[in-house]
Amino acid sequence: MTAKLNVLRYVLGAAMLGLWRNRTMTLGAVVTTAVMLVTLAAFLAINDTLNEMVTALGRKSNLIAYVRDDARPSRVTEIMQDLEQRPGVGEVVFVTKEDALRIFQERFFDQRDVIDILQANPLPASVELRMDDPAVLPALADELRGMTAVFESVAVPLDVVERLVSISNVSRAAGTAMIVALTAVALFVIANTIRIAVYARRQEIEIMKLVGATDWFVRGPFIIEGAFIGLVGATLAAVALVVMYLQVAPTITRIISFLPIATDVSFVRNLAVFIVLVGLVVGSVGSYVSVRRYLAV
Amino acid sequence: MIVLQNVTKVYPNGTRALDDVSLQIDEREFVFLVGPSGAGKTTLIRLINRDTSPDSGNVFVENTDVTRISRREVPKLRRRVGVIYQDYKLLPGLSVRQNVEFVLKSTGEFNGRTSRWVDEALALVQLSDRADHHPHELSGGEQQRTAIARAIVRRCPILVADEPTGNLDHATSWDTIQLLVRINALGATVLMATHNREIVDTMRRRVIEIANGKVVRDELGGGYDG
Repeated sequence: MTAKLNVLRYVLGAAMLGLWRNRTMTLGAVVTTAVMLVTLAAFLAINDTLNEMVTALGRKSNLIAYVRDDARPSRVTEIMQDLEQRPGVGEVVFVTKEDALRIFQERFFDQRDVIDILQANPLPASVELRMDDPAVLPALADELRGMTAVFESVAVPLDVVERLVSISNVSRAAGTAMIVALTAVALFVIANTIRIAVYARRQEIEIMKLVGATDWFVRGPFIIEGAFIGLVGATLAAVALVVMYLQVAPTITRIISFLPIATDVSFVRNLAVFIVLVGLVVGSVGSYVSVRRYLAV
Repeated sequence: MIVLQNVTKVYPNGTRALDDVSLQIDEREFVFLVGPSGAGKTTLIRLINRDTSPDSGNVFVENTDVTRISRREVPKLRRRVGVIYQDYKLLPGLSVRQNVEFVLKSTGEFNGRTSRWVDEALALVQLSDRADHHPHELSGGEQQRTAIARAIVRRCPILVADEPTGNLDHATSWDTIQLLVRINALGATVLMATHNREIVDTMRRRVIEIANGKVVRDELGGGYDG
């Protein structure tokens, strides 16, 4: 037990000493990691905002299916119950002919006389869908159009929906590519820093091996060094993130008020925690790869 | 204590460093390993602490076949075999005491009890008063004595030395040999590869001569040339 504690103390001490001896490289790796993680965080925030926009606008883009006057009410109820179970469908609302008339009169107040001229209510009843996922809209619209006995027509703001879905897809793809690239860069920089650290201490490593140090005793300090670089870089990035959030986000929200920027504290807190974890993992993995490759123990 | 059975080692470039070598060294023996450069002495020493493995044959150290132990068991073997090199292999950034302590720290064995082992090892090699000096402040003989202190600090039962006097002058070489003899008298088995004719001829211990990877002579009380 004491031996294990001694080993732990030695490994930690050796890691700190190694970082200090290579402080220029250490600093460079920390800064690179921080920059990559800030970019990652910024991207995640932007992506989140875009997703929020897609969802928010998608909610507004209802599908409206106009019900034939001669459709059987029980059949309409049946279809509505079915629609409510579909994935991507948020809310299913039935708008009666009377409701439609009232909405028309409210919205086109100055033209309400047009209706008064008519004896009967010309507006059809309708089933309106509010979507959770606009992507399923086109298929759904086609299906409803097929039910000619029930619906006289189906209206979908198709172009808006399609554009939103494609923006959201592109941003997701670009974001994934960027995250992969940045993670690769950070991994490479950390792995390289550790490689140089291994090279600088090759004499020490050789002697340790010859006098019977275990593999993990030799590897341990390098893994800790990488993890430490990742952790410090991530902490810097998290601090930068919080500062940006406190300083910049309110300004943007003030200027462009319609942007649904995630301004709640829990979002930023979760993002900061996530960033720190990513830093830790990238640092440990980067150094482990390097140790495996350049440290023949 | 140390047994080689039909050991053959061929390096990737085709050099036959050891060719069907068999030998046995008993507990507490003091053995000189002689032969021209490139004869296979260093390879033989490296086999004993699993610094290299043979292509065929077996190497037993304390009744364990070290050619068959797993990677995880190699550190255990090396903690039983102290090694001394011609180039000392000291860490330049550490003092004499720290170099010796390093062995114990590398294995997590450094504590109040074992720090006394460090004192004893330094006293045995007569470096107690130089303990805080760094290697560059020491003479070659003192550096080699530091390396010896490091090799014996864990009280290894086996001590192997690869040309320990190769870089030392006449008088210092004798100091080093006297030290190894004392360590042997304290109970360690000592195997020393050397080119030092005078020492081998004077000491009259067991001599194993290798040439072209083969044992050509194994003689008790022998001289350098047989």
